[in-house]
Amino acid sequence: MSRLLATALSLRRDPRVQKLPPYLSFLCVLVGLVWLLLLPLDDYARKTYISENALLPGQVHTYFSGSESHVLRAYRSELDVLASEEDPTRVNDKIEEILKGLGVKVGRQSYTYNAAGRAHSGENVYGILQAPRGDATEAIVLVAAIRSLNGQVNRNGVALALTLARYFKRWSLWSKDIIMVFPPDSETGTQAWVDAYHDAHDPRYVAPLPLKSGALQGALALDYPEVDRFSALQIIYDGVNGQLPNLDLVNSVGNIASGQMGITGFIQGMRHHKGTYKHRLTTIFRGMVKQSLGNSWGPHSSFMPYHVDAVTLQPYGKGFHDEMAMGRVIEGSFRSLNNLLEHLHQSFFFYLLMQRDRFVSIGTYLPSVMLLAANFSIMAIYLWVQSGQVDADAQKKAGKQPKASATEIAAVTVERSLVLPVAIVAVCHALSAVPLYVLNNTTAQLLPTAFAALAAMSTAAPFVLSYAVLPVYKPTQQQILLMKSLSLLLLGMALSTLATLNFSLAFVIGVLTAPLSFVGLSRNEPLRWASATLLTLLAPATVIYSVVAGVGLDMGHLLEQASFGWTVWGMYTPIVVWTIWWPAWTISMVSVLC
Amino acid sequence: MQSLFAWLLLLATAVAASDYHEQLTLRPLPLSSLLASFDFRSNTSFSDYESQNFRLFPRSLAQILQHAGTRELHLRFTLGRWDAENWGARPWDGTKEGGTGVEMWALVDAGSDEEADQKWLTLTNTLSGLFCASLNFIDETRTIRPVKSFQPEGHHTEAALAHSRLLHGVLPHEVVCTENLTPFLKMLPCKGKAGIASLLDGHKLFDASFQSMAIDVRPICAEGQECVLEIEETIDMVLDINRSKRPKGNPIPRPVKADELVCDQSKPYHSEDTCFPVDHLASPDWQLDQVFGRPMKGTCPLADATVPSVCIQVPDKRHVFTSEGSVQHKGADGQSRCYTMDENNDFTLFLARPDNPGEGLEVVEPETPLLYAERSLTGYGQEKGGVQAILTNPGNEDVEFVYLESLPWFMRIYLHTLATHISPNTTTAVDFSTPSSDIIKEIYYRPALDRVRGTQLELLLKIPAKHTVFLTYDVEKTILRYTEYPPDANRGFDVAASVITTLSPRVMNLRTTSLLLYLPTPDFSMPYNVIIFTSTAIALAFGGLYNIIVRRFVGADEGEQSPLKAKLAKLKEMIAAKLGKKSAAPEEKTAVEAL
Repeated sequence: MSRLLATALSLRRDPRVQKLPPYLSFLCVLVGLVWLLLLPLDDYARKTYISENALLPGQVHTYFSGSESHVLRAYRSELDVLASEEDPTRVNDKIEEILKGLGVKVGRQSYTYNAAGRAHSGENVYGILQAPRGDATEAIVLVAAIRSLNGQVNRNGVALALTLARYFKRWSLWSKDIIMVFPPDSETGTQAWVDAYHDAHDPRYVAPLPLKSGALQGALALDYPEVDRFSALQIIYDGVNGQLPNLDLVNSVGNIASGQMGITGFIQGMRHHKGTYKHRLTTIFRGMVKQSLGNSWGPHSSFMPYHVDAVTLQPYGKGFHDEMAMGRVIEGSFRSLNNLLEHLHQSFFFYLLMQRDRFVSIGTYLPSVMLLAANFSIMAIYLWVQSGQVDADAQKKAGKQPKASATEIAAVTVERSLVLPVAIVAVCHALSAVPLYVLNNTTAQLLPTAFAALAAMSTAAPFVLSYAVLPVYKPTQQQILLMKSLSLLLLGMALSTLATLNFSLAFVIGVLTAPLSFVGLSRNEPLRWASATLLTLLAPATVIYSVVAGVGLDMGHLLEQASFGWTVWGMYTPIVVWTIWWPAWTISMVSVLC
Repeated sequence: MQSLFAWLLLLATAVAASDYHEQLTLRPLPLSSLLASFDFRSNTSFSDYESQNFRLFPRSLAQILQHAGTRELHLRFTLGRWDAENWGARPWDGTKEGGTGVEMWALVDAGSDEEADQKWLTLTNTLSGLFCASLNFIDETRTIRPVKSFQPEGHHTEAALAHSRLLHGVLPHEVVCTENLTPFLKMLPCKGKAGIASLLDGHKLFDASFQSMAIDVRPICAEGQECVLEIEETIDMVLDINRSKRPKGNPIPRPVKADELVCDQSKPYHSEDTCFPVDHLASPDWQLDQVFGRPMKGTCPLADATVPSVCIQVPDKRHVFTSEGSVQHKGADGQSRCYTMDENNDFTLFLARPDNPGEGLEVVEPETPLLYAERSLTGYGQEKGGVQAILTNPGNEDVEFVYLESLPWFMRIYLHTLATHISPNTTTAVDFSTPSSDIIKEIYYRPALDRVRGTQLELLLKIPAKHTVFLTYDVEKTILRYTEYPPDANRGFDVAASVITTLSPRVMNLRTTSLLLYLPTPDFSMPYNVIIFTSTAIALAFGGLYNIIVRRFVGADEGEQSPLKAKLAKLKEMIAAKLGKKSAAPEEKTAVEAL
């Protein structure tokens, strides 16, 4: 033991060890990236399974068929007449009339959101089918937005929900209330409804709910505008800010659809998934992109922040399954949810799906982003140690003594002057409030211009800082090192924390900022300018512009979505970009230029 | 009219003469529901009771009551909820129902609170065995001593009242089922074999939209007569007629055949495969043995034959057909009729479909209740939450009532956040200007003690006519010890219904639904335990190793003194020097003594 200790103690004074961190850090980045690429392999991914025994998906016989289709057609015809009209309250009146006729209690709620200078208003109508023998302690939700995700009228979805309400009313086995929500669109309506259900709404914009039931146990949303027969069922499960529903819910619905009804279930738009490595990786990446953007991907997304597990079901393609089959999928899923004795908690909340029935759990994928984040922490410690050492040249002159005593080691470390570095880091982080404020308080028309101005300013900022502002304070080399060390430390900390909330966002930011660790290590002039160029290419503004150009998005639309997302859904992606990524980038740039 | 008077006269004499009577009242409700109220009442004189001479009073229960020194007992088993919006006022003015689960209150003969607790414990434990319910879980944390809302109902002498305590306990999570019905029926003189009790079938009773079984035992003293102990057992159930009519062998609500669908043929799109259904609006016909699943087997021979066994409350315009041998007595109000029947023959009753459906007057118009009450949890997350009760007075009179909350101890209420807002029924705008003191007249609050007792909150409120009051307060959710979590910890914890007792214009009872409260729950699953254990182990190992590597180890005398320590030592010296002067003298003294 003592020998081991001695080795360890002598090791830390070894100059070779002190050169190690950058390589270690690079290794972390490399392993982190490769790690993710290994996930689709069979050895790392698992088949999905139902963890909650109470769910018993597909074990009940479903009876929704026969004459119910006649009713469905009638409801659809009713809707067709009204949906084409301008006044949306007519549709809500009709839905209310139908639901009341069934003996279902009906409530309405109006709301107005103001985002990016535009008002998004609407009125939710919802019915509570009280569990015949229940006591209003628990409820499950069926959402059918009047306008589906692509803006069409959700013809089959709404009609199916109404028919199911009539059909469910006849059963006495419900242990939970069933709430049918009909929001006017797929983006804002459910958010307003869920907020108000939990009394977390802003009463200035969102009205309270006149009727309520118990704790929500799960929700299914129906996005079914096409009337033709369909071939497959897409399960959309991504929530706001990359939150995911319990894996049991996704699996149950998938099991019922494919196992019981013979409808192929698929995810992330991968209709023809062959189970190959490439397809799996594509699915993972699509999921990660959606997660890292963090906006709402369907009416179900808004439920997730309240710990209500939800998925959207979207029939796809042309095939031989009709709307009654879809109804039976919902009936089966509701019967499963109805069986629940406890809130869904057994299975995973953090996972990456690579196929409908294959996933990696958090324990397997989290190391990749943690390694990325560790790279920053290692570099931060390295820079900190370096900043405390006397210049290498000075050390050589003094003549190195191989067996320096403990007190002598202490003597060669120099005092660190922290005021300036801390001030710079603090100012840079504080400045991030400016783009956030501007982008969330500008009308949609001005957003692209505002963003262009911000991009220009953010590109200029490091130059201004390093050539105009900093020379006034005459920073020493040590202070520059300290500044970068502190910035990297913050970045590492922020990313590792973020990784537990939104893995994909942390990963994307981690990859984009990984070069920040390694630039500016050398004082070589051409290398410095090369680093500066690389950094400019990896600047937040440059990346956003190039992604928008690459994918063919409209910049104004993207910015409006970001502003809308923040106001309505509480989407924090812009905050991460501007308060974590941007300051880290700015400081790195300054350290390279100085 | 004359017949009614005669009948009433008969009834009055009968009550005095006989010790047992039973009656079933059927009342069709809107939206094809049917309320069936069973009432069984028997009594025994106190002398018989004391000498253990039981005839109609159930011996098993009586002995328990005697053993536990109980003067009055009220027991409720309730399932489902009363839909006041559609069904109107509650049967028996809500006095015969409890909150979801099991509720009981009793007046026990005790001079001190300790003695009362002891007797209450005996009572709950023995009743638990008798009724196959977990009544023994009504421990002190679920027991309250109501001050304003529950009062003794029977006739007691002043001395007896002074020497007794009223305790109230509730089990909101208890699921009421067949095993509770069987002991209930066993206590009836005719069991479930004859009379109206023969209609009680577990399948139908527990398939009802609302059902409440109640037992009330109380002393009744009529003037000039010997006091009697009365036991009243009631069952109220609301059946969904369409559901109850399904045959036993085929209870699954399969979609009907296409040609059996009742369609709205006026719709322009109506065709062979498109049908807008109109089936749910009509008031359907039904037959007694059909909705209860079995016929009524005559009358109970022990019951007072003069009291009609079955009554039905429907407008006179509706046609009612009964089996042979029964006699109809019409009520004066034109909305009720009663039937007496042959003792030995099966009885059934058929209510025909209304002649002109959709004209109204199909059922007796439900009475508007004095108050609508609704309660829900607000907020989200595992730390804090709130409760909101919406109390609506639909009538033209001010309503004064007591609002009782009995909350578990792990739901910590912040009483300072108790607030009321009032708004007229016509608008949704809330008026914040009316101070709470105008609405809440009195507060009785007994705070919770962790693991010892729950919160008891009684409020005396007054709501003006046609107004709605929003009563809100915040709560904090407590983290329990891990052994205190039940096996289904993630289900949440049930919070008992709040009880509303109106005082004016008349006394009636009303209960809200119970709540499901999520508490912060640790993850009891295996992987997380493994993570926690391994993290701890790694942290311990890493901490030690890290310490050894980065610390410099030098002899205590070799190392340089830290500046802080030096300053501290200086300060110490200074204080010692100052104190030394003062304490020098006594020190010398002790030194001398020691010598």
